[in-house]
Amino acid sequence: MKALIVSDNEYRTETFQRLEQLVHTILSQKGFDIEEVKIEKDELGYCMGCFGCWIKKPGECVINDKMGSINRSFINSDAVFYLSPVVFGQYSCNIKNTLDRWLPNILPFFITRKDGSTMHPPRYNEYPVQILIGYGDDLTEDEMNLFSSITRQLNRISIFYQGNDNETTAAIEQLELKRQGGGL
Amino acid sequence: MQDLKNIVIINGSPKVSLSSTSNCLSKVCEKSMKSDALQVLRVNVRESLTHKGWDEAFEMMLKADALVFIFPLYVFCLPGMMMRFLQDYFAFFRKKGGDAGKTKVYAVVNCGFPEADINREAVEVIRCFSKKIGADFRFGVLVGGGGMFTDVTENASFMKKTFTELENSFRLMARDIQGSLSEPLRGISVQIGIPRKLYLFMADKGWISVARKNGLKKKQLYARPYIN
Repeated sequence: MKALIVSDNEYRTETFQRLEQLVHTILSQKGFDIEEVKIEKDELGYCMGCFGCWIKKPGECVINDKMGSINRSFINSDAVFYLSPVVFGQYSCNIKNTLDRWLPNILPFFITRKDGSTMHPPRYNEYPVQILIGYGDDLTEDEMNLFSSITRQLNRISIFYQGNDNETTAAIEQLELKRQGGGL
Repeated sequence: MQDLKNIVIINGSPKVSLSSTSNCLSKVCEKSMKSDALQVLRVNVRESLTHKGWDEAFEMMLKADALVFIFPLYVFCLPGMMMRFLQDYFAFFRKKGGDAGKTKVYAVVNCGFPEADINREAVEVIRCFSKKIGADFRFGVLVGGGGMFTDVTENASFMKKTFTELENSFRLMARDIQGSLSEPLRGISVQIGIPRKLYLFMADKGWISVARKNGLKKKQLYARPYIN
């Protein structure tokens, strides 16, 4: 079993370091091989909405940087954990940029989800389970609600960490950390 | 005589090309708002990032009476580039000891999906940002079917009603900036007047057509390059 951790190296707060250690410990105990990618400020090019990953080089971003290897690791993992500071109720710039540049992994066409909303179809049959852990020291309820709401739209799971190891451990323990069908 | 109000329109499209929906919306916004009582200034996030740096833009924003953020929805929220802009502005604002107590903030968010309401969370992110700088968030304009908003379609008969709605929402914004609206609005949705099924059908055909122009066959669009 393989787990990928994507973290933001711009926000190496004490809370982050404790969370990072916690996630490593939990995944190691469960027998995962862990790869961690730490995103530095300005390390990745920004998604520029060119759709080259759909109509020029399908499935691959046209920007030649580390994101290609991150997307490859993503597709071949069983579980992916994003550790993101909660910034204005959203993901930080560095984490959001990796999510924007995840776009090659879906198809350009439109489908209608069960709730009637529009989405793009999956490119692959299966994807890793994806968990976004939002961290911070004084998160407000509004910020957490917004972070959860955005993550729900992405059909991913949100968890929070504000220094309480037990709460976050319990939340992760409830999850099935395995690959899942392609419906997004 | 009313005081002249300074409005800064922040175009947050990460696209390199100038023909983005956000560019189109920015132009309509500027055109609808310009009057003797409002001075409209422009910031282009990508251009500032790649050529000038952000300090000039940030100084303008510090002095503004109103900030209008116009940007596309990327993966259900703000594009990474826009988050970089807001994070860096927040740091700049704190360093300068900014006072945004009288600054009104608006968000105009567009998405490629036909449903305008998908933009709601992105508007809330701007509300959250406004709160952090102590500014007065007023309302958002949510635009669906973003691909239909171009300089060319602006004059097309099937988009006339939609563009009129858009212009009206910007005029309302202008009135609000001048203090005419007593309460902030909850948000305005601007939908395209094309049936959803037709819009999706046209979009799907469009991807195949543009891929063909790039020398790709339809089946190549389904490539799975990362399976080990």
